[in-house]
Amino acid sequence: MGTVIREQDLGALVVGVTLLGSGGGGDTGAFGRMLRRRLGAGELVLRDAADVAGVSVSPIGVVGATSVLMEKLPGGGEFDAAVRAVSRWTGTEVTGLMSLEADGLNGLTPLIAALDLGLPVVDADLMGRALPRLDQFSWAVAGRSLTPCALSEPSGQVIVVDNVDAAGLERAVRSFVAHTGGWAVLALAPTPVEAAAADAVQGSLTRALALGRAHAALEPGATPAVVAEDLGGRLLGTGRVEEVARHLIGDGGAAFGRGSVCVVDAGSRAVIRIETENEYLLALVDGTPVATTPDLLCVLDRRTLQPIAVDAIRSGDEILVLALPGPAWWRRADRITHVGPQAFGLACAPQLLEAS
Amino acid sequence: MRDLAPSLAAMLSSPGWSDVVVLSAAVDDGPRLTGSRVSLEVSSHPESLDGQLLVVLLADDHTDWRIDALISRASAAGAGALLLAGVEPLGRGAQLLAERLQLPVLGCSDPLAAHEYLRRVTAEPEVVRSELVLRAVAALRRASDDLTSVLRTTSDVLERPVTLAGTDGGTLAGEPLEADERTALVGALPRVPVAWAAPYRVDLPSGAVLIAVAVVGVGPVCWLVARLPRVVPAEVAAVPDVLSVVAPAVGERLALRRLELERDARQRTSLLGELLHGEPSEATRRRAVDLGWQLDGWHTGIRIGAEGQVDVAGRRTDVVEAFDAEGLRAVVVEQGDGWSAWVTAVREPTATEVQQQAAVIRRVHRRLVQTVDAYVGVGRVQPGPSGIATTLAEAGDAAGLARGRAETGRFLHVDRLGLAQLLLAWTRTDTFQPAAQALLAPIKDQPGDLVTTLAVYLDTESSLAETAAVLGIHRNTAAARISKIQHLLGVDLTNPDERLALHLASRTSPTE
Repeated sequence: MGTVIREQDLGALVVGVTLLGSGGGGDTGAFGRMLRRRLGAGELVLRDAADVAGVSVSPIGVVGATSVLMEKLPGGGEFDAAVRAVSRWTGTEVTGLMSLEADGLNGLTPLIAALDLGLPVVDADLMGRALPRLDQFSWAVAGRSLTPCALSEPSGQVIVVDNVDAAGLERAVRSFVAHTGGWAVLALAPTPVEAAAADAVQGSLTRALALGRAHAALEPGATPAVVAEDLGGRLLGTGRVEEVARHLIGDGGAAFGRGSVCVVDAGSRAVIRIETENEYLLALVDGTPVATTPDLLCVLDRRTLQPIAVDAIRSGDEILVLALPGPAWWRRADRITHVGPQAFGLACAPQLLEAS
Repeated sequence: MRDLAPSLAAMLSSPGWSDVVVLSAAVDDGPRLTGSRVSLEVSSHPESLDGQLLVVLLADDHTDWRIDALISRASAAGAGALLLAGVEPLGRGAQLLAERLQLPVLGCSDPLAAHEYLRRVTAEPEVVRSELVLRAVAALRRASDDLTSVLRTTSDVLERPVTLAGTDGGTLAGEPLEADERTALVGALPRVPVAWAAPYRVDLPSGAVLIAVAVVGVGPVCWLVARLPRVVPAEVAAVPDVLSVVAPAVGERLALRRLELERDARQRTSLLGELLHGEPSEATRRRAVDLGWQLDGWHTGIRIGAEGQVDVAGRRTDVVEAFDAEGLRAVVVEQGDGWSAWVTAVREPTATEVQQQAAVIRRVHRRLVQTVDAYVGVGRVQPGPSGIATTLAEAGDAAGLARGRAETGRFLHVDRLGLAQLLLAWTRTDTFQPAAQALLAPIKDQPGDLVTTLAVYLDTESSLAETAAVLGIHRNTAAARISKIQHLLGVDLTNPDERLALHLASRTSPTE
C-alpha cells in the first residue's frame, strides 16, 4: 500500500520537497500550481516498488536551468514527448514513472506526468535529495547506464541520447538546453521496477510529505530547538546573515556559482559559515565543519519558517540553520565519495548526523 | 626564550615586517609571539604552537572556507597569530571568527621572509645583532665625510630614525625628537657622560624606546639617539651595539667640521684685526673681497658679548641665523668672548633709517638671548674701511656698558645717548655703584668728611689751595686730609688711572 496524496496534502508536499532540496532543487511554484490544477479533487497514490511488480518504470524530471522556468513556461506536452521517444527507441512501453530526484520541482514533475499520462508513480528516485550533476544519479553510482534516454524541450524538439557515459550525457544535456529553451524534460529508459528501484533511493516523496506535515504542524513562534526536533534534525544556529558572497568557478564543463553565507548565532555569537553551490553543501561553526552533504542543510526564515533557497538568501535575513539526515542510500563508503564534500571540491571529510 | 618574545604590535612596527598587514580587526598590543612555525598549505593541522606565529605559505583565496577552518585549528593549537600569504581582505566569516577567537590574522606578500625575521628575533638575537653591526660597518665605509650622510646611513641600516642630540636634547642633525621624548631623554642622561659608559635606554610612556650613546670628542658632548617605536627585545639589544660602532665615526665627522669652523673663524678674526689697525692694504682688501666683506660704504658696528663659557666659533651660525631671520645682512666675526658684526649701507643712512636699523638689531638681540646670554652694543654710522674700526670701537664701549644695564635690556645704541652721557650714565649703573662704594668705603665714615674733600680735590685738579678755599678750611687741614685719604685707600693720587677711578667713584650719588 502506498501513500495517497490529495489536494490538502499539496502544501505539505511542496514544503517537504523543498526541504529535501537543501537550498537547491529549483522553484516549485510553477509545477506546484500545475499539480494542484491537474489533481483537482482527485487523488494520487505513491506506490511502493513491491506493489507494482512487472511495471517498466522510466525515471523522469526536468534538467537544465530551472530558474528559466519562470520565463520559459512548460508547454504541457514535454513529458509525453520524452516518454514516447524513449519508449520508441527502446521498444519497451513505459508503464510507470519515478522521479529523477525527489526534491524541489522534480519532486512534483513525475506526479504531473503520471496524471497526464495516466501512469502509476513509484516512490523511488535516483538522488533522494538535490544534487547538481547527472553522474550523481544513484544508477550511475551503482554502475547502471543512464542511456538510452530522451530529452524534450518546450518548443517540441526531442533528442535521444545513447551509448555515452554519465559525463558524456551531462555534456550532451548541457549543450542541448543551452541552445534551446534553457531546460528540458529528461526521461531515462524504461526499466523493470525491481531493478530500477534496487539501485534507487526509496520513499523520498513519502518522507517529503512527512517532513512537510511536521513543518505545517509547527506552532507559529516555535523555538528553533523545537523546530529542529520536530523536523528530526539538528539545530546549527539561529541568527542574522552577515554576508553572502558569490563567485563563479570554472569546473571543467560545468560552471556553478560557488558562494558562502556567513551567519552569527544570536545566542552564542558563534560564527556559522555555509558553503554553497546550487545547494547548501557544508556548514562550519566557529571554523569547524559540523554538517556536510549528503545530509540536508536547510535554511529557514526565522519568522515564517519557510525554506530559503541558495539563490534567494540575502544579507540581513534572520534565519535558522538546520541539518537533517540525508538519504541513507548514500551513506555507504563507496557511494558517499560521489556526493560528499570532496565531490564538490571541498577538502573536508563528510560530517553526517547520527543515523536515526 | 619568552623574554625575547616581542608583542605583535612591536613586530608590526619593525623593519623586517614592513609589508605585513593586519587582515582581521585591529589589534592593540596583541599577543607576544614566542616564535614562528611555517606550514605549506591552509589545510595543515598544526600541533601545539604555544604562542608561536603560524605562517601559511600558500593561501591564494582569503575568502575560502578553509581559512575559517584554519583559524579555528590554529586558535585551538594555541597560536599567537596567523600569517597568510597575500594581503587580500578576509571573508566576513573569517574576520568575525578571528575576532571571536581573539586570533589576529595577518597578511604578507612574502610570508617566508616575515617568518624568517620573526624566527631570528625570537631564537637568534645574536645573529640579528651581528648582522646589524656588520651592515653598519660596511655602510659606514661607503658613507661620505658629511655628518648627515653618516646619520642617514645608520638610519638606513637600522630602518629607524637616528638623531644627534645635544645635552639639552636639541637636535643637532637627523630627525628631531618630539618635545616629550626630549624631556624624557634629558632626564635620563647624565650631565657629564663617561666615554666607556654603557648605552642608555629610555623607555617612553608611549611604548617607544630611545637608545642613546655618547659621542665624546672635540667640543661639547652630544648623544647619538635611535628611536624604536616599540620593544622588539632582539632589536633593543642590537641597536646599542650598532650605535657604539657609529659613535666614533660621528665624533670624527664632528671633529672635522669643528676644524673647518675654527679655521674659518681664525681667518675672519685675523682679517678683522688687520682692518682695525688703520687703512687696509691691497692684500687685506683682496682677502676681504674673498670673504664677501664690503669695505666701502657706511658701516654700523655691532658688538655682541656673551656671558659665561660660550663656544664662540661653534655658535657663530646661531648669530648669523638670527641676523638672517630679521633680514639684516651682517658680517659676523668671532672676537674674544663674543662676536663683532657690522652692517654696510651703500649711502649714508638717514636718521630714521638708523633708528629702524637699531630696532631690527634689538630684535636680533631678543632672538639671540633665547640661546645665548648675550649683551649688545651698537656704534654710530661710520664711512669707509676705517669706519669699521671706529664704529666697532664705539659698539664695544656701548656693549661694555650694556652688560651691566639690565634696565635697557642689556642693549645700548651709542647714537641715542652720546658717548659722554653714556659714561656718566654708567656711573649710575648697578655694577658701578657698588664698586664705587667699595672703593670709597675706607674713607666713608672717617671724621673730616673725607669723601667730599676727595671729590673737591679731584675737581680742582689736585690743588690743595683751591680745595681749602672751596671747603673753607685751612690749607694744612686739606693737605692732612689728602694724605690721610691716600693712606686709608692705599692709593697714589698722582697715578692717572687711580685718580680717574676715584674721580668717577666720587660722582656716584652722595646720598648713597
